[in-house]
Amino acid sequence: MADALHTLSAAELGRRLAAGTLTSRALCEALIARYQRVNDKVGAFTHLDQADVLAQADASDARRKAGQGRGPLEGIPVAIKDNIAVKGQPLTCSSKMLAPLVSPYDSHVAERLRAAGAILYGRLNMDEFAMGSSTENSALRKTFNPWDLARIPGGSSGGSAAALAAGLVPLSLGSDTGGSIRQPASHCGVVGLKPTYGLISRFGLVAFASSLDQIGPMARSIEDCELLLNALSSADARDMTCFGPSDRGLTPAGDAKKLRIGIPKGFLGKGVAPEVAAAVNAAVEFYRAQGCAISEAELPSADLAVPTYYVVATAEASSNLGRYDGVRYGHRSAAAGTPVEMMTASRSEGFGPEVKRRILLGTFVLSAGYADAYYVRALRARAKIRAEYLAALAGVDVLLTPTVPTPAFKVGEKASDPLQLYLEDIFTIPANLAGLPAISVPCGKSGHLPVGFHLVGAPLSEAKLLAAGRLFEAAHGYAHQQAAL
Amino acid sequence: MSNAPSDWEVVIGLEVHVQLHTRAKVFASSPWGFGKEPNEQVDPVVLGLPGTLPVVNREAVEKSILFGLVVGASVPEHCSWDRKNYFYPDNPKNYQLTQKDFPVVVGGQVEIELPGASRNVMGEHKFIRIHHAHLEEDVGKLSHAGSGSLVDYNRAGVPLLEIVTEPDLRSSAEAEAFLRSLVAMLTQAGVADCDMEKGQLRCDCNVSIRRRGAEKLGTRTETKNLNSISSVRDTVIYETARQIRELEAGRSITQETRGWNAELARGYVLRDKEDAHDYRYFPDPDIPTLKISRETVARLAKQVPENLYDRQRRYVEKLGLPYTAASVLVNDRALAEWFEAAVAAHPTNPSGIANLVANDLLRDLAASATAPVSLESCPIKPAQLAGLVKLTDEGVISKQQAKEVFAEMFTSGRDAAAIVDAKGLRQNSDTGELEKIVQEVIADPAVAKSIAEYRAGNEKAINALKGPIMKRTQGKANPVLIDQLLRKFLA
Amino acid sequence: MAEGFDIDHLAKLARLSLTAEEKVLYSSQLNQILGHFQALADADLPATIDDARVVNEAALRSDEPGPVLGAEAVTRIAPASRDGQISVPRVVDDES
Ligand SMILES: [Mg+2]
Ligand SMILES: [Zn+2]
Repeated sequence: MADALHTLSAAELGRRLAAGTLTSRALCEALIARYQRVNDKVGAFTHLDQADVLAQADASDARRKAGQGRGPLEGIPVAIKDNIAVKGQPLTCSSKMLAPLVSPYDSHVAERLRAAGAILYGRLNMDEFAMGSSTENSALRKTFNPWDLARIPGGSSGGSAAALAAGLVPLSLGSDTGGSIRQPASHCGVVGLKPTYGLISRFGLVAFASSLDQIGPMARSIEDCELLLNALSSADARDMTCFGPSDRGLTPAGDAKKLRIGIPKGFLGKGVAPEVAAAVNAAVEFYRAQGCAISEAELPSADLAVPTYYVVATAEASSNLGRYDGVRYGHRSAAAGTPVEMMTASRSEGFGPEVKRRILLGTFVLSAGYADAYYVRALRARAKIRAEYLAALAGVDVLLTPTVPTPAFKVGEKASDPLQLYLEDIFTIPANLAGLPAISVPCGKSGHLPVGFHLVGAPLSEAKLLAAGRLFEAAHGYAHQQAAL
Repeated sequence: MSNAPSDWEVVIGLEVHVQLHTRAKVFASSPWGFGKEPNEQVDPVVLGLPGTLPVVNREAVEKSILFGLVVGASVPEHCSWDRKNYFYPDNPKNYQLTQKDFPVVVGGQVEIELPGASRNVMGEHKFIRIHHAHLEEDVGKLSHAGSGSLVDYNRAGVPLLEIVTEPDLRSSAEAEAFLRSLVAMLTQAGVADCDMEKGQLRCDCNVSIRRRGAEKLGTRTETKNLNSISSVRDTVIYETARQIRELEAGRSITQETRGWNAELARGYVLRDKEDAHDYRYFPDPDIPTLKISRETVARLAKQVPENLYDRQRRYVEKLGLPYTAASVLVNDRALAEWFEAAVAAHPTNPSGIANLVANDLLRDLAASATAPVSLESCPIKPAQLAGLVKLTDEGVISKQQAKEVFAEMFTSGRDAAAIVDAKGLRQNSDTGELEKIVQEVIADPAVAKSIAEYRAGNEKAINALKGPIMKRTQGKANPVLIDQLLRKFLA
Repeated sequence: MAEGFDIDHLAKLARLSLTAEEKVLYSSQLNQILGHFQALADADLPATIDDARVVNEAALRSDEPGPVLGAEAVTRIAPASRDGQISVPRVVDDES
């Protein structure tokens, strides 16, 4: 019985904890046992403080016993991507640069999870500073796709997706700047949601590209994903870009069978693998059969999304990552010299190649003489893309595409070709540029590899995305799927 | 030398950084203030820890708007913040949050007063235009210790308003006068304390020269980080002389950034244009554009104090104050308001009140233990001072006695009338008794010569008779009454 | 769009030191990526950037001092410190 705990959903675990048939300590012990068996194969976690987890579990059990349970997440472990600050835990961003750093403060979401009684369970591997789509850019360890250990789990929230698919934890947090929640969710056969920009506070999320970054929930089912989303969403005065759900209010889901679904014209032609196209088309047909109105949507500037994204994201990143200089925290080079030499050496030793590449690119697009041609034009293109998405979403409730053009590739396969990797995010990037909510829902397999479809909605239409996902999930067998390990 | 220095005109523009009067920092809730142990006023946001975000301090924005209203600037509908990227160990994020494209204050002007021919004479007035003012964050402090340097981030994130003038200043005296006016306006509006000892006001000084009458501006240099008015004055003098020397020697001026060594009274080159930073400014994605409501502007407009020089003109023209006293009073808003409260209690002699406030009161306050001079702890209240002047004006006590009463008021805080009564200082105004004494003195042959002179038309000769009268009354005779009686009996 | 960038200048601006091989590699990769950005140069774009991110004064922080980390916590995470301050190699140019 205890052996199967890792297969259960957060919702089911919550019911057992509430009924008193399970304790948080028993659950955490079972997950730690699973961690000891499985994590080395998958490499999802970079850090797990077992004693701390069990202490948190005991505290949760004591609260529940005293009648002071804090809600549906009481006693449930939530694993956290290593770019989200939890006081007293490492905050490495999977970078050598921050390997020595223990966070002296809590992120807003960490506070929310504590307030909900959740167990802050370990640190998850990622691409260094969230830059990448395969988690191969982690300086700490490799993470493998639980469905095929020779393949990448996606990225940058690869650890968050792999931990779910490997049954290491029922819920996880990821962050998404251009698809970093949804792409690994698709590759690992789990649900990943990127909320409307501003729904969840970024306070405590290490910035990659501030105008695009969002924290989001990841889970093995829509129900669990929603549970976590509700715990995280709240206004926060420490993030001026966060308005939370209370300000404008989430759009109610309505009847999922009456959703109007737009299929962007030409999207399935863009290097989409046949098995992926087949799975996504089947999902479209499913919705049509349910009574949804399917139509074609026009997004004429779609081709601008990837270049626009890489200009905006790298520009912001080049500035955001300026603070890592070996002065105040993190890695400092042993090479002495002037402060400039010390900072330069610290950065050169601390950052991996992809981070350096993006810093150089971002520095270039902002530099004197080039900013107008690149950065400013990218802002204008972004405005155009956003306007087109909002116009399309005025006519339909959601836009449906594949999440990723192809299933998970082999470890090392695209490592030498950054541009190829950048195209992994072609379907997910526009939601970040336009600040829209989006979700990846498992919808089948390409051979043994999971495939997901992607829904984008109007601002604050998370409930609609979840309702659409729930309708599909209920009719198919992809909820709670885990790889055999 | 082929040209006298007067053939050249100096053109000066200033960038003045003032620390705004707030309790918390500009983008973080950490407190700030002088005299704390290093790094004790630092929170995760100030330190730029990964994941932290700035949130703008409302008070810092309002103080900036208030400054704009003080100088008659327009307050824009929106303002926003940009990142200025450069690496330096005192700069926690390696970018400074500042306002490049949409600052909180645009335009405005500061009236200045140049020194007069003497301190009793008002000098020329001029208006210096403000280009804009932007709200940004201060950096930490570096100190040197042996082979290394130490960084204290207490100052990092302190709100700075950078006030940028048009190149309207034409001499070191004008630069100095501008800064004095600016400091008075900032402190009187409660925008900033401008304590230069504490580094609360720092200037960058742009200087160029051109042939008098020429329109085109010369190449300018920027001397950075001057932390006193005298350093600005000295820098202008130094740079003007240096640039004239260069040009007259047939060399050209390099556009460069310079530093100033106040101890050696010498400038030096920091970097030239080739090394100019590429700051890669872009809009800060963490701080949305701020809409400034007209309600806020209207509310703040009510806090704008009367302009320094408007007040000065009013004192001289309407209240009849001498320029010297007026200029002393208007420099300190609290002092001016104190003075006006006294005048309200005794409106017929503003000059008499001004004289006591600007001389006796200020002198005694400065001598008393509390530094800086504070009117809040002043033992004399405005109405009490008015009472003293009134007693003097009515002839109840003499001017000489008033000094004595004032000293007593300053130590005890009692009313003038009470002190006069207790000390028995009340002047003898008993006409009958005084008439008798006056007649006795007139009859004394010792004063016959003075009487004759007075009668011959020498007005001043009458004063020689007043001494003996005072002597006989132990100084208590009302001098006004004595004067009247003497004239009556000698007529 | 912009012709060739100066990799040395970029590295200096970004405070990165690159080996000769890295310079060659990054130069070619950046060129390739910038080539892909051509679509941006060719696109017909709106003249203005309509900024959707506008807040009013309610989003501002009140001037209430909050908790600090304390010098002990600041120096604990610092790579090198002395007497409550963070130490760095000697700064020569005291411009700020
Ligand atoms: Mg300046
Ligand atoms: Zn400045």
